[in-house]
Amino acid sequence: MVDEVGTGETVVRLDGVRKEYGETVALDGLSLEIRAGEAVAVMGPSGCGKSTLLNMIAGLDRPSGGTVLVHGENVGELNEKGLALYRRRRIGMIFQFFNLVDDLSALDNVALAAQLTGSPARQARRRALELFEELGIADRRNAYPAVLSGGERQRVAVARALMNRPALLLADEPTGALDSRAGEQVMDLLLDLNQIGQTLVLVTHDEHLARRCASRLVQVADGRVTGEHSLEPSA
Amino acid sequence: MRAVWRAARAAVRRRGLQTLVIWLVALVSTGSIVVALGLVDAATAPFDRVFGKQRGPHVVAAFDRNKVSDDRLTRAAERSGTAAVAGPFPQATMEIPRGAGDFGLGGEVTVVGRPGPGGPVDRVDLWAGRWPTRPGEMVLNRQSDWTADDLGKQFRVPSGPTLTIVGFAFDLSDTADVWVAPDQIEALHPTGTQMLFRFRDASSENRLRAQLAEVTAGLPKGTLAGAQTYLSLKHRVGSNARAYAPYLMAFGILGILVAVLIVANVVGGAVVSGFRHIGILKALGFTPGQVLTVYLVMISVPAVLGCALGTLAGNLLAQPFFRFVFTGPNSGVLRDSVGIAPWVNVLALLGMPFVCVLAALGPSMRARAMPAARAISTGSAPRTGRALGVQRRLAGARLPRSVSLGAGLPFARPARSALTLAAVVLGVTTVTFATGLAATMTGLGTAGTHAYDVTVYVGSHRHGKEVRPVHSDREIQSLLGSLPGATRVTARSDDDAVLVGSTQRVMFEGRRGDLPLDSVLARGRWMHRTGEVVAGSAFLRRNGVHVGDHLRLRKGGREVDLTVVGETMLDNDRLIAGAWPTAVALMPDVKPIAYHVKLGDGVDQERYARAVRAADPGLSPQLRGPNNITRTIVGSATALTLALALIASLGVFNTAVLNTHDRRRDLGMLKSIGMTPRQVTVMTVTSMAVLGALGSVLGIPLGIAAYELVIPRMTGAIDIALPSYMTDVWHAPELALLALAGLVIAVLGAFVPARRAARLTVAEVLRSE
Ligand SMILES: Nc1ncnc2c1ncn2[C@@H]1O[C@H](COP(=O)(O)OP(=O)(O)OP(=O)(O)O)[C@@H](O)[C@H]1O
Ligand SMILES: [Mg+2]
Repeated sequence: MVDEVGTGETVVRLDGVRKEYGETVALDGLSLEIRAGEAVAVMGPSGCGKSTLLNMIAGLDRPSGGTVLVHGENVGELNEKGLALYRRRRIGMIFQFFNLVDDLSALDNVALAAQLTGSPARQARRRALELFEELGIADRRNAYPAVLSGGERQRVAVARALMNRPALLLADEPTGALDSRAGEQVMDLLLDLNQIGQTLVLVTHDEHLARRCASRLVQVADGRVTGEHSLEPSA
Repeated sequence: MRAVWRAARAAVRRRGLQTLVIWLVALVSTGSIVVALGLVDAATAPFDRVFGKQRGPHVVAAFDRNKVSDDRLTRAAERSGTAAVAGPFPQATMEIPRGAGDFGLGGEVTVVGRPGPGGPVDRVDLWAGRWPTRPGEMVLNRQSDWTADDLGKQFRVPSGPTLTIVGFAFDLSDTADVWVAPDQIEALHPTGTQMLFRFRDASSENRLRAQLAEVTAGLPKGTLAGAQTYLSLKHRVGSNARAYAPYLMAFGILGILVAVLIVANVVGGAVVSGFRHIGILKALGFTPGQVLTVYLVMISVPAVLGCALGTLAGNLLAQPFFRFVFTGPNSGVLRDSVGIAPWVNVLALLGMPFVCVLAALGPSMRARAMPAARAISTGSAPRTGRALGVQRRLAGARLPRSVSLGAGLPFARPARSALTLAAVVLGVTTVTFATGLAATMTGLGTAGTHAYDVTVYVGSHRHGKEVRPVHSDREIQSLLGSLPGATRVTARSDDDAVLVGSTQRVMFEGRRGDLPLDSVLARGRWMHRTGEVVAGSAFLRRNGVHVGDHLRLRKGGREVDLTVVGETMLDNDRLIAGAWPTAVALMPDVKPIAYHVKLGDGVDQERYARAVRAADPGLSPQLRGPNNITRTIVGSATALTLALALIASLGVFNTAVLNTHDRRRDLGMLKSIGMTPRQVTVMTVTSMAVLGALGSVLGIPLGIAAYELVIPRMTGAIDIALPSYMTDVWHAPELALLALAGLVIAVLGAFVPARRAARLTVAEVLRSE
């Protein structure tokens, strides 16, 4: 089924992807296509394989079978270094629990992503500061993660994910650890980003939030896609 | 209790790597401590054991037979309250020409008439044959590792009776070379009377001399011809082993320090990184006491196993080492009676586990006291302000980010880093100390080895018969010089003489030629004119003589005056060396016993030796071999250094393992934003290399200080003075290499955990937290 909302070319194509952990089958021949500019929400019961699916796309883990193609690149065939470079260039990832480095300031946490690619510190900080301003957390740039609120932490994490201008922004329950107000703010942020063209894949349990910002909803159960429908993004 | 045991077992299983580290550290450090302490102990103990068993005399005194009667001596000894006395025994001196068939005697021999080997003092060990009971029989003083083949052979005393060897006895105290029955001694014209004393207070030379003075107080003046205390004997016998003692002490102390630090670090780290685990145990209903027990068991099992195995390994390793140390004319007798003292093993088996448990106790008490909720929530220790400042400055530094991130890591865990740093510092100290020691020892071992290449002895043995040279002395010297390859030849004579004013026999070495032979000049200059001599530090110290002083030697009724012009590095306390005319002045018919030949560069020694044998079958050439003592010290220093460097590396290894474990989550995140495996490795290795570099900066001066402390004591123990070129061992290239040592220790220790960290699967790590 081809979706009308996704107008760009195909960015991600999963074809019969399997992932087994010993006896457990996390993904059972899952196929999915994501086009440039889409905002896809992935939903499903706990343990159905949503995080595993994101990890496959992000190159954080390798499939046991099937292919994961991102921009025509077979992610499963990359070596460790290739995967690292792939994540660095193409993927921005946001987690439920933020995953910031405790002993770096908010700004340095974000600048880090660019510095790993070899950008000089000054240039990396300048770019990070731009993002902080865009995300409305410029005044918190010198704070350490421990003193930031959950919402602020997640916005720092979003800034870090955007640092290298990724083709794909992946978010695994980004609002799961936030109260509803902070959760909505983060969702608005993601929606804004999608509106200026950022391709987005979002795992969430909150159907309301999903409907607010996603252009397509993918239902997953037992490691397979069981349903898909496009949504009218609410204005 | 079952639950406690099960939880401890599970904890050990889950921390396989850490358990292995604890076990290894306990093993290696216990092993080195056993070897070190065992040898320190052996440096003094075996002498006391053998001496005690023989009830050796504290003082061996010789009285003038013409001035005092036996009865009077007996009464004087009884009156003065000595602990035990043997004698009086008549004592004679025989001049025996050196040569074939003298059963290794030769020179001036002391003969004592004595009714039996036992008695209250000096129970000599009659290890072959029987004691002489009638005239015509004798027993020779010989170590039992020699042969008794000569039993029954006869020996004719020059212008005296013929004696048959009926037994061999060994006397550690060396009170006589030959014993005969009291009936026989008159025929040998005794001039002295020997008395052997044991005193109540044998603690010092002064005390012994004072008690001897009490014995002789009532006797006419000048009756005491000479007396020797057992202390100088003990000094001589133990000197080899004593030379090792300061250096082994240094290694032992370093070893214990490193071991304690690492054990504390490893054990403390295990507890700290187990805080979550502690919380869970408490939530399950473990009492604080049970939690404490779980952690103590978890640490003690591998530690005790390591200590036990380390003790065993130490005992095995020490054996070949002991055999080396107790070799040589003065110490060989003790070889059979040395071993690791029981107290060393007891200390290692009880002390080391005790140290481990003590190290575990502090953090375990913390675990015990910690509320369950806090233990569970303490994922990682709170960061300190200073650590954050360091990270902030590094974040802007012009370094690859993986390097600057790694450099900041040690500051996140200051206590753990400090303990690791201390271990690295001690590791570098050890390496520095051992390097200096090895350089000096190698200098010492090779001193004079370039002086000559081949020693040619006069006389050889063919088919059990002695062959004398066909050429005369002078002919031999010019013959050796004319054979192809030879550049210079020095002849050497070796004869005993008496130092006038003492009862001591000395060896006079005459040299014809200008090679310095074995010895290296520590002070003064070489002899040039007739009457000038050089002597080893040992000789000078023993006789209270200094460079510039005069001596008088007597030989065969002839006396000559000598001036000491130089101090050499010889450790022989009886040898003085002079030029050939000096030897002739003392002994007009002196003959060389050997010739030392210096060959040209690149000349084949074997080939020269063959040419010598062909030119005169009565000559036996001998090539120079390496020096065993030096090899032993250098070898053992290297082994101990490697062991300690290994322990220090294990400490770093452990810290790196703990740190990467604590930071799994950060590592996962860093990888998720595109850190390559190589960058992870660089970061982790850098974090430890910082400690390594700092360790070098602190460890090198400490190592140099240890060297300055130990070397003078070592050389003092064997009575040698080192020329300054041997102790100037620190130069820029060596120091640069040493600076690398800390880095190498740290990088080695960090590499494996770094690789493990680099291979973490991100999805796994982020999921499990
Ligand atoms: N590293 C792993 N090892 C073993 N099993 C795993 C691993 N990762 C996932 N699984 C299993 O695979 C299945 C899918 O897990 P996944 O985390 O993708 O579920 P999910 O849809 O994200 O669930 P949730 O909504 O609770 O986050 C689960 O049964 C999980 O137990
Ligand atoms: Mg999930």
